[in-house]
Amino acid sequence: MSEQRHVEDVKPGDGLPPLVKSASRAQLFLFSAATRNPHRVHYDRDYAKLEGHDDILVHGPLQGAWLHQFVQDWAGPRGRVLALAFQNRGRAFPERDLVFRGRVAALEGDVALLEIEEVDDTGAVLVPATARVRLPRRTA
Amino acid sequence: MSLIPPETRALVGQRLGEPVTATLHAEDAERFAFAAGDENPIYFDDAAARAAGHRARVVPPGFLVWALEPPRGLAALREDGLWRDAGPPLRLHVSRVLYGGEEWEYFGAVHAGDTVTAETRLAALEEKTGGSGPFVLITTETTYTNQAGEKLALVRGRRIAR
Repeated sequence: MSEQRHVEDVKPGDGLPPLVKSASRAQLFLFSAATRNPHRVHYDRDYAKLEGHDDILVHGPLQGAWLHQFVQDWAGPRGRVLALAFQNRGRAFPERDLVFRGRVAALEGDVALLEIEEVDDTGAVLVPATARVRLPRRTA
Repeated sequence: MSLIPPETRALVGQRLGEPVTATLHAEDAERFAFAAGDENPIYFDDAAARAAGHRARVVPPGFLVWALEPPRGLAALREDGLWRDAGPPLRLHVSRVLYGGEEWEYFGAVHAGDTVTAETRLAALEEKTGGSGPFVLITTETTYTNQAGEKLALVRGRRIAR
């Protein structure tokens, strides 16, 4: 489990420790199954090429789940993710490093506003995102 | 020519389809967390979830959407593997619909065993022009409510139709 972060530990400009993800083809298959998603672009490479992609695609919602994990792990177990917004701008492929990085843009009371991006191994920003997270205080 | 037929434009602000209700199963939620590679104990262990201030273990937020997918037969599959009735039931002069992202607002934790109802509204249809020509930005708003009538989450989903 990640360590608990408190409001008192956070200030605007702080960076979040990056999270690196690389999906195997088997993981994409499992995510398709867990989400009841039969879309062929996630497991059929020939079909994905027919649609103009170089390879099968990492699901947008899987990247959404990773964003949530990135934020919840930073906040710690008693942190509460209040909002998460993301735009899928570029294609993400399996067996390639996808890096999630972010910073604290502002602190409003006990709520941290985070600016986040998911970047692929060419440096392209695939997903810009923002999040709002409520953090506990160190002293109750 | 507009990509949006007038009868489709008239649906903006309206509810899309019927509300969907389903009960969340703990094992399905675990499968989702494992498949996403997120083994946070708050998703697997009641004691860890209670230590984090929840009343019992919670489900990963993204799981909510998928838990409400109805069972369908093979005849409901399209050539591309998508369900014929997937996505907003909108008639547009386009050939392809792409996932564009989501905005989530969370109002409370979601627990296994909750019976959740989702209701979707067509929030906006915007005609735009991008690098590969004209497209329609479809924005839907889905509200998730539990059996006690508590609002759990609001999701603004965006799709790009071209």
